[in-house]
Amino acid sequence: MFNEFHYQVRGRGHEQDGTRGQDRTGHVSRGGVQALCLADGAGSAAQSELGAQAVVDEGCALLVEGFAPFVTAEDAEQARRNILERLHDRLDEVAERNGCTRVDLASTFLAVAATNDKFIVAHIGDGVIGYVRNGKLLVVSAPDNAEFANQTTFVTSPDAATSIRLFRGSMEGVAGFVLMSDGASASLYDFRAKTLAPACAKLIDVVRNAPTRQVQNPSYKKHLRRLVDTKLRLATKDDCAIGILGRRP
Amino acid sequence: MALNIGADDLVENPTPRVPVTLCLDTSGSMMGEKIRELVEGVNLFYNAIDEDDDAHDAAEVSIVEFNSAASLIQDFASIERLDRIDAINATGGTALGEGVNLALDTLEKRKSTYSNAGVLYYQPWLVLMTDGQPNGSSAELERAIGRVTDLVAQKKLTVFPIGIGSDADMSVLERFSPNRPPLRLRGMSFKEFFEWLSKSVSRVSRSTPGDAVKLDLEGLAGWAEL
Repeated sequence: MFNEFHYQVRGRGHEQDGTRGQDRTGHVSRGGVQALCLADGAGSAAQSELGAQAVVDEGCALLVEGFAPFVTAEDAEQARRNILERLHDRLDEVAERNGCTRVDLASTFLAVAATNDKFIVAHIGDGVIGYVRNGKLLVVSAPDNAEFANQTTFVTSPDAATSIRLFRGSMEGVAGFVLMSDGASASLYDFRAKTLAPACAKLIDVVRNAPTRQVQNPSYKKHLRRLVDTKLRLATKDDCAIGILGRRP
Repeated sequence: MALNIGADDLVENPTPRVPVTLCLDTSGSMMGEKIRELVEGVNLFYNAIDEDDDAHDAAEVSIVEFNSAASLIQDFASIERLDRIDAINATGGTALGEGVNLALDTLEKRKSTYSNAGVLYYQPWLVLMTDGQPNGSSAELERAIGRVTDLVAQKKLTVFPIGIGSDADMSVLERFSPNRPPLRLRGMSFKEFFEWLSKSVSRVSRSTPGDAVKLDLEGLAGWAEL
């Protein structure tokens, strides 16, 4: 199975403004399936941090429950609709509870779920999803930035259903996955070459080779958090979030 | 377990750019104090961008002048490469359509350069300043109005039409900006306008995906007529 690491830190811009960080990450392991999700709340949306948390929670639940149908389904359009409907339903509940609208909860959505044999990936908006396969670091899904740097698609966007990118495949040769928000991609993704930074392979390697004994605060996670808090955070004013699934050797 | 991540393992991406093109009337009617104040305002704009941490790396400015013809007097460049302007010669007619078309051509070329180099960019800005009535080719004027309004409708351009003094043809400027009324500068408040412009560029350069950048248009009310 997999070791996991996921973490988010408030960006320097939000710290200066006195506003909350809007990136969220989550992980669920159930029934032999591990799901890792990440969401980056929209700056223009009033309560996007609540939306980001909601789609992370619901995305993890959906992917572990529905993993088998997703990896075998032939109708990709139906799968896209199912994912979006489930996320929208959850957002509507959160919106009602908090006296806001679904659009106030706008965020991106990045997800990977895997068993020992198969994986699925879903992506709406910017941020990057990558993996290491047969020793090579590869991009699975690149940022969807439209034309301008401050534009992307959100779970709540009218074109979300057509923008959601779905991938699935065999785990043969796969060592692990990395998910990152827009802020983290400033250091971990080369926008010119459209490739991942070499650090991504090292990060996946650290997570997959981490000791499996249960301790409360494993040292590899402390080192990774420190990397995000320092090098990744200082390279941008945006929030930084990262999620890693490393397949145990 | 040691985590050995060095600078070579990370990427340093170029800062996303905010392209700003100033399309300036340098016809004979601008001669004297108007053109001197305008030049001073542009230099102040450069200085303000230079001093702002965010705008400094993001802003790229070009200048197109129009009089009896249009010419590019400053191609897009970052603040480090922008020379301060000593003077601009004001002479001839007001080929406004030709000026705007050249400014848009220059913008399109710059956007291609960004795309080919993998540099992200924000929605470009066009600042159009004139003190009179256009008297260039009417076909070019109509073409310029059509191009600008199409781009604005597609949210691919932010346009600021500015009338200088009481003789500026505000009805023509209005046709360039269907969503936002043109501004008429009160007196020669170039300095205040360019200060506001540099702050607005800074605000855009700090924005992240999903941010709705609100331009402080009320801040203009003290020195311009909205």
